[in-house]
Amino acid sequence: MPNLLTWASDPARRRPLLRLLVAAQVLYVLGVAGAGYATTALGQHIVLATTPVDPRDLLRGDFVRLRYTISEAPLSQWREAAPPRRRQGVFVLLAAGADSLSTTVGIYPTAPTPGPNQAVLRAWVTDVYRHSLTLRFNLERYYVPEGSGLRREKAGRLHPLRVHVSIAPWGQARIARVEDAGAAKR
Amino acid sequence: MSRKFLETESPGWVADGLISEAQQQQLLARYPADAPTLGLLPLLGSVLVGLSALSVVAANWQALPAALRLALLLGSLLGSYGAGAYFLRRGIADLGHGLIGLGLILFGASIILVSQLYQLVGYDVSGLLAWVVAGTALSYVYGSRLLVLLTVLIGAAVQTYCVQVLGSFSYATAALVAAGLGYYWWRRPAVVSSTVLAVGLLWQAGLLVAVLHAKITWFFVPAMAIYAAGDWQANRAGARALQGPPLVAAYLFMFGLATFGETDTYANVLRPPLLPYLASLAAVFGLSVAGKRAHGRLNTLLDWLLLLPGFYLPGGLPLAVATLVVLYAHAGSVLARAHRNQDSDQLTLGAVLFVAATAVAYFKLTWAFLDKSLFFLLGGVLLLGLSWYLRRRNAQTLAASAASAPPADTAATTSPDAPIQHS
Repeated sequence: MPNLLTWASDPARRRPLLRLLVAAQVLYVLGVAGAGYATTALGQHIVLATTPVDPRDLLRGDFVRLRYTISEAPLSQWREAAPPRRRQGVFVLLAAGADSLSTTVGIYPTAPTPGPNQAVLRAWVTDVYRHSLTLRFNLERYYVPEGSGLRREKAGRLHPLRVHVSIAPWGQARIARVEDAGAAKR
Repeated sequence: MSRKFLETESPGWVADGLISEAQQQQLLARYPADAPTLGLLPLLGSVLVGLSALSVVAANWQALPAALRLALLLGSLLGSYGAGAYFLRRGIADLGHGLIGLGLILFGASIILVSQLYQLVGYDVSGLLAWVVAGTALSYVYGSRLLVLLTVLIGAAVQTYCVQVLGSFSYATAALVAAGLGYYWWRRPAVVSSTVLAVGLLWQAGLLVAVLHAKITWFFVPAMAIYAAGDWQANRAGARALQGPPLVAAYLFMFGLATFGETDTYANVLRPPLLPYLASLAAVFGLSVAGKRAHGRLNTLLDWLLLLPGFYLPGGLPLAVATLVVLYAHAGSVLARAHRNQDSDQLTLGAVLFVAATAVAYFKLTWAFLDKSLFFLLGGVLLLGLSWYLRRRNAQTLAASAASAPPADTAATTSPDAPIQHS
């Protein structure tokens, strides 16, 4: 039996194999894009409150750095005996309140089963303090076109924003939309 | 012999009547032009072009509509693969492989930028795992060292991202690099890619130990497993190239232990549970010995001296003395082996290791005066004695081979009927 390496690098087979590989890569990238749409279409919708900070990045145009109100939680919401470790992956159980904003119900080391009107968002522990812990969701950056409406919000930095997040059934999350709660009330 | 040397010198030989023109052609045919060496420039070039393209597009990225961004990414991906295949068909291998490598880089960039385009958050590394898969597959199809290097780098980068950002270790990535590129190495053990593969795997092993919050000495179980794989490789050069990085790591550790271990400050970081650790290390040792025996390389067994778990000794003088003895023994074994194989590179290495061990001993001497003075003296005497002994034996063997070799050479090159003289 010829070995896999000589089989794959046989010049006669090289061209079809490369086509196959490149086609697979293109499909994969399209699949990632598809996952973006699917997360919005099929995902569970939650709304989080944030304040924007420091909306400027030199290399990548503009993004808004978001700080969620659920990014900090009291340690009493940690649902395990062993204390959380830094950089540990955790699951945050969220429940929608009266103004449709989601708030933390509990933080779990393994995925809890959400009840009705509840959602599970994954997060990482960034710091553990004596009475609280801080979390990172990888949703902290919202990329916006340069000079767009959100850019102007830099002046009104204290305006709270409402961030619409979609959580796909397979766990991926994305920011679907960011709206300015302060402007809506005005 | 170098082809270049032959090309520049042989016309002179023909002119002087040493060889005929036909013999010159025969000689040139005997040493074909070197196989294209690993092009460092195309690697650097593709990385730089990739980076510049990334930053230019990225600067205006947010202003472009989503569909255009996607088309731009996929277009450059297809373009560089197409151009790479085109140049390879034209026989311009370096540029072709460089462009295929660029295509691979663009694939990874596409995954990252498209996830960012849709503000997607990945909670595991599966999105980037495809990148490693593509790199491995392309390495197989093109049998290109450049692609192997890139794939090892990509594997290390993906694993680092996984550990840094997601806080977990991706066993799939590690297994893919170890198995996919390990098989490649097994079949094609080129020296450079073997060393790079070993370094890449050591990096992943280090990340694993960090993520598990394990004692750092556990690192040497996977590291020596890589070393043991080298013992089973039939190709000697490829085997040694793979074994180099784990040995360097083990040596540096032993060296650090000899230099700083005395204070016992690190004791709680270094001592894993005795039985499981020794059992795992012994298992890898057994594997290594079996491989050495199968390929008749038992003379390299003393490499394992560096893995003696001296850190279980109480800190202070016993540990310092024990590690220094091991360092000296190891340097001596390298020297002895180099001398037996008449290997001048290894001889230099052995001498350097010996001097390094003596330097540590000297450092210890200046630190706490009298305790180690004996040790330093011993090192100096050993060094002097060994250098004298080696020089003498070198001269002897050189004289012996000079006496026997030339007649055998002329006999072989002039006439098969000439009487062969042995001294």
